[in-house]
Amino acid sequence: MRPIRLACGVAAALLATACAATGTTTQPSTGPQAEAAPGYLAVADDALPSGGTLNLQVHIDSGAATGYDPQLADVATTWQLLSLAYETLVTVGPDFSVQPLLAEKWETPSPTEYVFHLREDVSFSNGRKMTADDVVGSFERLLASESVWRGQLGPVKSVAKDGDHTVKVTLKEPYTPFLAALANVPAAVLPMKEVNDKSVDPATTLLGTGPYTVDSHRQDVSWTFKRNDKYWAKGKPAADTLNITIAPEEAARVAALQNGSAALATLGNVDSAGMLAGARDVQVVTQATTDFYYLMLNTKAPNSRSSKFADPRVRQAITIALDQQQIADIALGGKGRPSAVTPAGLPGACDPAALPSASKGIDEAKKLLAEAGAQNLTFTLSIYATQPAPAVAQVIQQNLQQAGITVKIEQMDEAGWSGKVYGKVPAEFDAALSWFAGYADPGMVTKWWNPEEAGFNVGFMTPDKELNALIDAAGKEPAGAAREKALAAVCAKADADAQMIPLVTRPATVAFRSDALSPSLYSTEGYGNVLRLVADARVKKSQ
Amino acid sequence: MRLLMWWSGRALSSAATLLGVSVLIFAAVRLMPGGFAETVLGPFATAEQKAELATRYGLDQPVFMQYGHWLGAVAGGDFGISMISRQPVGTELLARLPVTAELSLLAVAVSVLAGVPLGVLTAVRAGRSPGGGGAAGRLLSGLGVSVPEFVLGSLVVFVFSRYALGLEVGPWVPLTQDPARNLATMVLPAAVLSVFAISVTARTTRDAVMGVLVEPYVTAAVGRGESPWFIVRHHILRNAAAPVVTLLGTITAYLLGGALIVEHVFNLPGVGSYIVQAVGRRDYAVVQAGVLLAAGVFIVMNVVIDLLVGVLDPRLGVTAGRRS
Amino acid sequence: MKRLDRLSLGGLACLLVLVLFALGSLAGAGGDPDAIVGPRLQPPGPGWWLGTDNLGRSMVPRVMEGVGTTLLLSSIAVLVTAAVSATFGIIAGYRGGYLNELVMRLVEVLYSFPAIVLAVLVAAVVGPGQVAALASIVLVTIPLMTRLVRAAAVAVSQRDYVTSAVISGARLPRVLGRHVLPNVAGTIAVQGTYALSVGIAVEGGLSFLGFGVQPPQASLGVLIQQGGTYMIAAPWLVLGPGVVLVAAILAINVVGDGLRDRLEPRETRSLT
Repeated sequence: MRPIRLACGVAAALLATACAATGTTTQPSTGPQAEAAPGYLAVADDALPSGGTLNLQVHIDSGAATGYDPQLADVATTWQLLSLAYETLVTVGPDFSVQPLLAEKWETPSPTEYVFHLREDVSFSNGRKMTADDVVGSFERLLASESVWRGQLGPVKSVAKDGDHTVKVTLKEPYTPFLAALANVPAAVLPMKEVNDKSVDPATTLLGTGPYTVDSHRQDVSWTFKRNDKYWAKGKPAADTLNITIAPEEAARVAALQNGSAALATLGNVDSAGMLAGARDVQVVTQATTDFYYLMLNTKAPNSRSSKFADPRVRQAITIALDQQQIADIALGGKGRPSAVTPAGLPGACDPAALPSASKGIDEAKKLLAEAGAQNLTFTLSIYATQPAPAVAQVIQQNLQQAGITVKIEQMDEAGWSGKVYGKVPAEFDAALSWFAGYADPGMVTKWWNPEEAGFNVGFMTPDKELNALIDAAGKEPAGAAREKALAAVCAKADADAQMIPLVTRPATVAFRSDALSPSLYSTEGYGNVLRLVADARVKKSQ
Repeated sequence: MRLLMWWSGRALSSAATLLGVSVLIFAAVRLMPGGFAETVLGPFATAEQKAELATRYGLDQPVFMQYGHWLGAVAGGDFGISMISRQPVGTELLARLPVTAELSLLAVAVSVLAGVPLGVLTAVRAGRSPGGGGAAGRLLSGLGVSVPEFVLGSLVVFVFSRYALGLEVGPWVPLTQDPARNLATMVLPAAVLSVFAISVTARTTRDAVMGVLVEPYVTAAVGRGESPWFIVRHHILRNAAAPVVTLLGTITAYLLGGALIVEHVFNLPGVGSYIVQAVGRRDYAVVQAGVLLAAGVFIVMNVVIDLLVGVLDPRLGVTAGRRS
Repeated sequence: MKRLDRLSLGGLACLLVLVLFALGSLAGAGGDPDAIVGPRLQPPGPGWWLGTDNLGRSMVPRVMEGVGTTLLLSSIAVLVTAAVSATFGIIAGYRGGYLNELVMRLVEVLYSFPAIVLAVLVAAVVGPGQVAALASIVLVTIPLMTRLVRAAAVAVSQRDYVTSAVISGARLPRVLGRHVLPNVAGTIAVQGTYALSVGIAVEGGLSFLGFGVQPPQASLGVLIQQGGTYMIAAPWLVLGPGVVLVAAILAINVVGDGLRDRLEPRETRSLT
């Protein structure tokens, strides 16, 4: 009988562990994130001394065949790393207002003219002074490149210098998001003299005006950044050294926070606050972002598949049946919020509750499906495995089941997924789930609803002339009530078009050791850059 | 002469195996769906960028040519260039190999030091009370092979980082930089990795020892009144060593695979995590080189073990080899 | 005939219970494993006796479905492995020569891949999912079983009754089917149980890396992988499936040991 007793003992021990663990559980809070100051989750304590080493952990490295070239960087995780070494003419404040950076001020003599006055005390990290030539050259290089940011920059007609410290940009027509688009890493000022004489290749070397310079990088392992001693802003950056460890596994990052080997880490689990509750000196904050999940319904699939979503009534039925609030509450643990094509959280964004589909019930969806002859609709939803995408997909599946739609989830690795979704024109998938960075102006990400402008979605999205015209109109409209009306028209039209259905925002979870670090963090981030204010962060103790 | 013949035969068959492995790896990598271009360049890439990338890495050539080029380059010690880091794969592998090797060696050492005594003990005890005597031991060793690394690893990472229990979960530092700290952070992953191997070693040892126990020379020794400890040391261990050493080959292979999960959980920059990340990104050169290396190490390891078994137990001789 | 010992019988009983669970899940007992029934991350209580997961689904039907998926997947895989290994192992062992060399070389090639690496490659090629898990388990377990079956077949083919069957003019299929196969069946059965436990572990490892069974379907590996991230906030998520997984592998191994002791009894002795 001994073995039986042993087995019982093991079971008892396991149960005891479980109970002990349950005892320390605190329910993950779902309330709004508390702010340290308006627009800030945390504000660095200036009274603390500068210097010291900061150890950070992030889940993914920058990695693309285009190397470190900031103009070609197209994902937020890469922007985040490159932003330590590169800077832009302007930047965004905590309220998404455009703030000076390398340009200390600017004028807009007419809606199509921008005159930037550059700071005179800015040097690249190799010591050479930044001039208007670098700014003009960077613009020209970007406009001549294959960069996706070319489209976001808008209808730039010409860029010219006016003396060594003034640059004038002329647009073909008014374009309201222009300054917001200039505030992101792809619009960074490159050392064009060195780039042109080929002594520096931006794909392999980071040489910018930013607060840090690269000391070493091992792909997918770590980065070490050193303080740029020639940095123009006095007293910045505060920390001398940044060690950034790449740790794909969440458990490893949680461990590093708990034992103090990391002072700050990005987390993927929306319930991390509960996971780390009780860990001493670890503070978990949820940074809202303008990034949002969206559902792609392929209307261009060849042969039999195309009939599934070709009928707009079928797509509208899906939009109606989707319960954005439930997706936000369950899949994102209450941390996300429903969004229309203009990212929720941006000033001027439209109210998702006011969308035509929001006021309709599940019976309406069933009726539309019946009219379209698609009562027993079944389709495959292709997703990638990175959390919380699978959770979002499973709530979608439950939502659509209410309308009698059967969803088969197909989870792939990211390479397989992007091959399937972007690899072929016309694309062969049924439906797919992904997210967009929402950027810093509601008129920016909406441009991706025009496949002719976006390019990457021509394989599955049929252009809608009316929608495209509305998007362009909203881009031209200067900020104000008229623009909000124009944006609302885009939202309503995209809602009816329903080829790409916006779902919920995708918050970022950040945890830091309050005994090791006093960081600054915005409450809402537009370019997915958790490290935006890292130059302000104060090290509390040498780690 | 016979030895020489055996060795050349063994080398030849190993080379054939390695060649087969290389074909399989290459085929697998090229059969993976999802484009390297979309992954490496991102969804916004243009057709020209994709074509340029394909030309740069020779991916526009016929597959047979690509395979030939790769094999030729590898034979010359060139493992190619990573599409992601743009660095030579060989350099990175060389930096990562010591991590995986250290992890595996530590795990093998632990499993031998713990598994062999455990196996001898259970065998001798089973001999004392035939029947279900070793049930507790069997259950325990069964438990060892039943807890997957990813369960144990996640648990250990969590518990040891939450509570100060004397052993550390990272951060990893290179062995050459700070040997003491490096060892301190390698203990836990190695321990997690060795749990399975301990059980398997214990089982194999138990079986081998039980086989030796009934040999006439053991009967004679018992008859002479030699002490059990003396018999174990002088008769049993020597004669039971061969199957255990043979097992080490299997264990090494297992550990190289298990190391992949443990490296992932503990965030160690070893070969395993390199391969997994590269598969996810279709970084062809890295996957090919990494898997080839893992398989190559295993094949070489087994040749070495055959040699070792021959030395340990001349009766088996080289002719018996590993093909039991 | 020697009966299975008590421990093995216990293992068998444990397996039987798990199979009943799986069958119950198929019959719909326990409820819809995908339905969102309550608040998220609730500890065990009425309505959800094993708690709810991060989507507010009851863990009872999910663990039941998980047991079913994992056992079914691994069993099918092991049956495939057994069939393939038996065929090639017996032919290689009995015929020898070039055929033997070819089979052993192929097996050697497969054997040179670390198990999880092989599984990851397979999953990348066929796409994550049940097929990938199945194919991975088969490819991972084939080498060892084929080798051992071959070794057993070599030994059997030299026995007198095989020789006399051949001399008396029996044809090859008959010799292999009637004389060789029954005598290597023990090896296949024993290795089969070990392969089963390896299969469950491989399925779990693959799911852990995100290449295994697809959501919302549950397998033990998927449940443990998902629950693992909630180890502190919701330990019941990993505890239920974890205990079941360990119990399943343990039971299978114990039965395998018992089977081996019965089919290949070994003498032993005391040192004192």
